[in-house]
Amino acid sequence: MSILRPFTASDMFNFNNINLDIWTETYNIGFYLHYLSGWPDLCCVQEAPSGRMMGYVLGKAEGQAQEWHGHVTVLTVAPEYRRLYLARKMITLLELVSDETYRGFFVDLYVRCNNIVAIEMYEGMGYSVFRRVREYYGNLGVGKGGRDEEDAFDMRKPLSRDNGRRSVRANGRDIVVSRHDVS
Amino acid sequence: MSTALDRQIRPIYDALDTGSNKSAIVACNKLLKKHPKNALVQSLKALALVRSQKVEEALALCDEVLESKPTDDSTLNAMMHVLRGLGRHKDMIIMYEAAYKKQPANEELGAQTFFANIRANNWKSAQQVASKMYKQFQEERYLYWSVISSVLQANDRNTPAEMRTLLYKLALRLITSSSTPSYAHPDRFHLHLTILRELSEYDEAMTLLETPAGRNICETNLSCNEIRRDIMRLRGALEEEGKRAEQRIVEKNDRNWLEFLSVIDGVFSSLQDEPSNDAKEQCSSKLSNALELFTKISEQDGKKDRSGLLGLLELESRARKHGVSTDSTRMLHLMKQYFEAFGDKACCFEDLKPYLSLDGEDLAAWTDVLQASSSSLSTVNAVRRVINSHKLSRYNLSPSQLTVEAESSNASLYIKQYLEGLPLGDELPSTELQHVDDLAILAGNVFVNIWKMTGDVQYLYKAAVLLEFALGKSKQAFQMRLMLIRIYRLLGAPSAALEHYRLLNVKQVQNDTLSHFILSRCSTFSLASSGDLTYSTECLEASQIYISNSQETNDFVIRAFSAEKYSQIPQFITFEDWLENSLQRDITKLEYLRMRISHEAISSEVIDLELIELKFIFDRLHHDNRDFEILPNYQPKAVEDFNTQTLMFAKPEGHGWVWSFLKAYIKAFSQASDLDDVVEEKLLVGDRPQMSPDKRISLKERLSERLEEELAELTSDELSLMSYGDALADWLEPFHDHVRPPASVVLAEAAKQTELKTGIPLKGVDIVPQNGHVKKEEDTPPISEAPEALAKFFENMKTRFEDVKKATFPNEALHVATLTQEAFLLFVIETLRFKTPSVVKIHKLGNLVAKFKPIRSLAVGILKDMATSLENMSAQDGTSEKRKEFVDLCALECTEIDHDFIMNIAKKVTDSRKKVEEGVAKGMLKLCSTYEQ
Repeated sequence: MSILRPFTASDMFNFNNINLDIWTETYNIGFYLHYLSGWPDLCCVQEAPSGRMMGYVLGKAEGQAQEWHGHVTVLTVAPEYRRLYLARKMITLLELVSDETYRGFFVDLYVRCNNIVAIEMYEGMGYSVFRRVREYYGNLGVGKGGRDEEDAFDMRKPLSRDNGRRSVRANGRDIVVSRHDVS
Repeated sequence: MSTALDRQIRPIYDALDTGSNKSAIVACNKLLKKHPKNALVQSLKALALVRSQKVEEALALCDEVLESKPTDDSTLNAMMHVLRGLGRHKDMIIMYEAAYKKQPANEELGAQTFFANIRANNWKSAQQVASKMYKQFQEERYLYWSVISSVLQANDRNTPAEMRTLLYKLALRLITSSSTPSYAHPDRFHLHLTILRELSEYDEAMTLLETPAGRNICETNLSCNEIRRDIMRLRGALEEEGKRAEQRIVEKNDRNWLEFLSVIDGVFSSLQDEPSNDAKEQCSSKLSNALELFTKISEQDGKKDRSGLLGLLELESRARKHGVSTDSTRMLHLMKQYFEAFGDKACCFEDLKPYLSLDGEDLAAWTDVLQASSSSLSTVNAVRRVINSHKLSRYNLSPSQLTVEAESSNASLYIKQYLEGLPLGDELPSTELQHVDDLAILAGNVFVNIWKMTGDVQYLYKAAVLLEFALGKSKQAFQMRLMLIRIYRLLGAPSAALEHYRLLNVKQVQNDTLSHFILSRCSTFSLASSGDLTYSTECLEASQIYISNSQETNDFVIRAFSAEKYSQIPQFITFEDWLENSLQRDITKLEYLRMRISHEAISSEVIDLELIELKFIFDRLHHDNRDFEILPNYQPKAVEDFNTQTLMFAKPEGHGWVWSFLKAYIKAFSQASDLDDVVEEKLLVGDRPQMSPDKRISLKERLSERLEEELAELTSDELSLMSYGDALADWLEPFHDHVRPPASVVLAEAAKQTELKTGIPLKGVDIVPQNGHVKKEEDTPPISEAPEALAKFFENMKTRFEDVKKATFPNEALHVATLTQEAFLLFVIETLRFKTPSVVKIHKLGNLVAKFKPIRSLAVGILKDMATSLENMSAQDGTSEKRKEFVDLCALECTEIDHDFIMNIAKKVTDSRKKVEEGVAKGMLKLCSTYEQ
């Protein structure tokens, strides 16, 4: 239960309860305005009836030819609003818009290989691992979490236009690419 | 351009790109020897000069290039950066307009001319340029550019109200002239709907919305759907919208709360004003339908979604308001049901808050429900339920239930449960929040409330220790940090507060919304006078965001034009405006200024520069972006919220505070400065910022206006400072006006200085400088006695200081002492002009200057006494007795929170106090010796 509405520039004045949390980065103004001036319909907010922001998603459409797709760049929910299926609702909207407005072939997102909870959540929503991107989250050497912490899974979900389901492959976890091969 | 020259220019670009402005200038000079009139090289040099802050030289070059009316891309581009750096948006327009006129077939130049107008908020000309471009290049987008320019002009606050409708009508005429319908593109459609909504052309809007394309857009585009919803509401079609929403909820499983609200609005749509019986009956049947629908949804969704049950609550709450509720027990029943179903979700309290205003039996029954709920802490869900039950019961506590005893036992219970539940999170990684955090936050709220009731400092000590302990267990609990910042500032321990603030890792735009936590009235704690620039630096760093905003945000407005994202343009402009005119920005500025004059030597340069900046600020219409909501508040509704309770000096500063201090300083600076309006106008480099529309009265009249509501935001001591400043300014005004050299002399001097620096005479100023001081025709105004108010102020502050220096924490003493110091510095500023012996001699002001002496020595004497007292306080705070006193008063020792832990906090607090008292005292003595004579 929450209000789903577009992300607007002045939301930057109100997102502290989400962004003071350690897992959410606060970027420069230009970052948010870049997304809003490019793909405003892929940026939305979940808001509580009290007017407090609960979470938001920022996305974009990119890629050439059959790689044309919707991409989830930021997806975040404030600590006190977790476990309410908010992420799912925001992703659903992003998929709808990527499908109907942008006519993309799939939606994709990146997730740390060791973030089992998130991976399972996305799998539950129809995403599957398409490839593994080496050192996507910085190459500061192998940390406590091993390779799984710095590598990312590129997870994809096919949209209606992807008739051949080219964005799904069974052995995605074994296909490793370098960070420089992805946009 | 020859390739040889081209090759030589490339390194200049490289140098500029890497920020080596010096080598860029050297390279330019070399090339300019061979090609002295090359506009590109000249403009690149101007750019390098601007970037190395050599404004005067840059200006001269810049003017030369502009006169040559360049048309080639590279020169125009370089000049665009130069002019932006100088803030000369108007010149940028002139430059592009001239170029476009020379090459009317150049589409790129047309677009740049348009953008230059947009950057300068020159909507009308932008609209004309876009129209011209549309005619010439036949591109639909230019038509839309002209449409939104009209809309932006209509929305500009400088546009008179009667023009608004006309401009919207123009926009509508333009948009309907398009050959393709607006719904071909969601953002064009959005713009079209915005215009129709503004003009109340709802039928036409509906026609568009009902087209298949229109429907499709609203399905996927939230912004367009938002306007659609709005239009439905405005045309009173609530029932229709309710039905549509119901369909979405049932058929598409939409759980957007807005849809539920639409259903509810639809139910009560017939009950406007004085409803007839018919209307009431109609409503009743719709009510039972909605009841059925929401009940079904809530059963179907179970714990997966809160909408159904919350919908029922909202429905019942509105039915009660309209007097059509049929079941007096339903509200309570629903609340109970909600608490049972979602009591283990962190947001349960917030969800139920709007419905908590119960009374009589309902309240008693509800309290029973909460009390009967399990107090088990065995699982994470159980803990959340306990927390929610505490928050919900606490909210409704009545004043009679808020005794010190009752609150103390509440605190004990929360702490006991906190410690008991803590092991549940033993396995959590350090990046996670502890499940029991809110119990500590609740206890912190209670302690602050008891402090507020009793004034007993031990409760603030308890709050600090408990929150520090909990923060040690839950390192990312930013809410606790925010509470601690407030508490430490109340305790007069600024460095402890600052340490926590830095750990929050506030970044980018958060500097605007959150810096108030640390910068509000921070000159009270500033040690700038003794050379420690911690707070001045904080002010400068927090202000960086405003520079980024003025440099970057505009680029994205332009981007939104290029990408045709019209829905974003007004929002970007609003965002830029709110940040540019942020209230916190100028609160920070004023605090910085107050610290600056205590640190830097007070000179006419400082005074002139600050004066110009403050006068700019004085024309701003401020917007308050500060975030206070972020502070957790679990105080009962019968008492003040946590934010209000923990404000320093119990006075929130806002617009009134800013205006009061601005006026005081502009008054003092404009008297002390030689820059009058004429001079300022001539010497101004960039464009003037947009004036506030309120220009009825002169600056002088505005300065002397002291409004009641403005003064209400000041502490009593700040208020005394204002009266003192006014008295001082009124007394010295005639003498300043008499001595101040005429504009022609000031300008001649400025021209001379510029010529010395750049070798080129100052443009627009051609005055023959006169020799020596100009003696005015009229006589020196009669020397009057110093107003009694001045001496009285210092005497009063002395008494005030004696009163507050014994208080448990040093804040009041520091406040009084720093304000007395500020009054002394204002005196220094106001009398600076009369320090020059020749001025005094020529204007026969010896008698006036003689009257300064007693005030000066009185102030110095009192400041020195205050400094001595502060030093004594500081020595006291450094003793082990003080630490022991803290530990004894705190009395929170238990197996988990040991003696050493509390001792460390005690040390942190007392050390911080010691440092600030010592530093302020030292700085005061330094200022006394600097300005004693």
